[in-house]
Amino acid sequence: MDLLEPTREAFYLLFTGDAELWRIISISLRVSLTAMLVVSPVAIAAGFILATVPFTGRRTLVILIQGLLSSPTVVVGLLLYLLLSRQGPFGEWHLLFTQKAMMIGQAIIALPVLVAFTLSAVQGADPRAHETALSLGAGTARAALTTLLEVRFGVMAAVFNAFGRVFSEIGCSLMVGGNIAGLTRNIPTAIALETSKGGFAEGIALGFVLLATAFGVNYALAFLQGEGGLK
Amino acid sequence: MSAPLLLVEGVLKSYGPRLILDIDKLELYAGESYVITGDNGVGKSTLLRILCGLEKAQVRTYEFEGKLVSIENFPPELRREIIYVHQQPYLFKTSIDGNIAYGLKARGIPRLQREALVKEAMEWAGVANLDHVPPQKLSGGEKQRIALARAKVLNPKLFLLDEPTANLDAEARRQTVQLIQRMSLDNNCVLIACHDYELINLPRMRRMTLSDCRLALQAATEPRRRTV
Repeated sequence: MDLLEPTREAFYLLFTGDAELWRIISISLRVSLTAMLVVSPVAIAAGFILATVPFTGRRTLVILIQGLLSSPTVVVGLLLYLLLSRQGPFGEWHLLFTQKAMMIGQAIIALPVLVAFTLSAVQGADPRAHETALSLGAGTARAALTTLLEVRFGVMAAVFNAFGRVFSEIGCSLMVGGNIAGLTRNIPTAIALETSKGGFAEGIALGFVLLATAFGVNYALAFLQGEGGLK
Repeated sequence: MSAPLLLVEGVLKSYGPRLILDIDKLELYAGESYVITGDNGVGKSTLLRILCGLEKAQVRTYEFEGKLVSIENFPPELRREIIYVHQQPYLFKTSIDGNIAYGLKARGIPRLQREALVKEAMEWAGVANLDHVPPQKLSGGEKQRIALARAKVLNPKLFLLDEPTANLDAEARRQTVQLIQRMSLDNNCVLIACHDYELINLPRMRRMTLSDCRLALQAATEPRRRTV
């Protein structure tokens, strides 16, 4: 198969501002960034609590969350589909095949990644950081925030990882979004569709955008990591 | 005689079956400096950490300025009066002035006042010239002086210093001893755990020894200075 021609065409579509293509890109970004924005503070706080507060069942919860790292996105999609479908318990909310459903799905997918990586980052933190904060008069919340800031490289790695997973996932988006053009068609679902139709140019263009956007978002977030964790 | 700044009675601390501390009574007075000596691993650091609420222990009585305190739930307002400095101080991954300003921020001191206090503290500790050096590039002595400035700027009533001169070279040690000497001249109370003879022999330093889980107060080398 000649790859050169579809690639050339892909760049043409991108740089001529093909409306449909850019609509797909904006849906992808909107859904993934919103999901991340909503779930990150909660999941990072949960990871911190799990790393620092002893309670009954903590170990089981840690194992469960680490296990959920391997949960296939289609299974999340399937469960969410059952919950949101008309006969499901949340059917009356009419969320199925909307961007909101995709956001919920992506938030669920990102959750274990964020919790598990934050847990690991906080566990690796120097215990003197938290003690110093407390001793200097910081309250519980400020001391927690200080510890998270001290391990920001690890916490941001959690965010990168979760974003990477949700931005490129297809299973859940396809099942609860439905791949509706202009509404719930995001980059991964569009690539699958275009490829199945033989629209390789669109597929390549979207694949290129997926990678470029992922790099762009990660580059922006990297500023929050400080000096790249250089020792 | 005035009431002690801190009165602690009946301290028991064990790690598993091993008893670490069994202290009848410890009294600290404002304006006094104390040093606890004892072999490595005898529990000096543990005692300091118990006093500032970082380590749990069984304590019968804990009174600060005559007020009975529950050490189980160490009160936040007490954390503001007692500051513990680690043997190897931890500096936050921010600027040096950010480190010194940390406690002031936690106390809600307005920015302008904070900046003035930080500047003063940096000059006090002789670290004003290190302003733009990242904390991880500093030497042990410089880190220690910054940690002392970070504690001093908050003007707490009690400083707990854990081996402040350990692992420092001669010059860094001399500078640190000077700072501690100046700290103890104010009406604060300083309690130091150390082996350093220079610190132990500072004028008016009251000595305690910790051995076999017990604390013993030794006679002062000079008449005790009465304050308040």
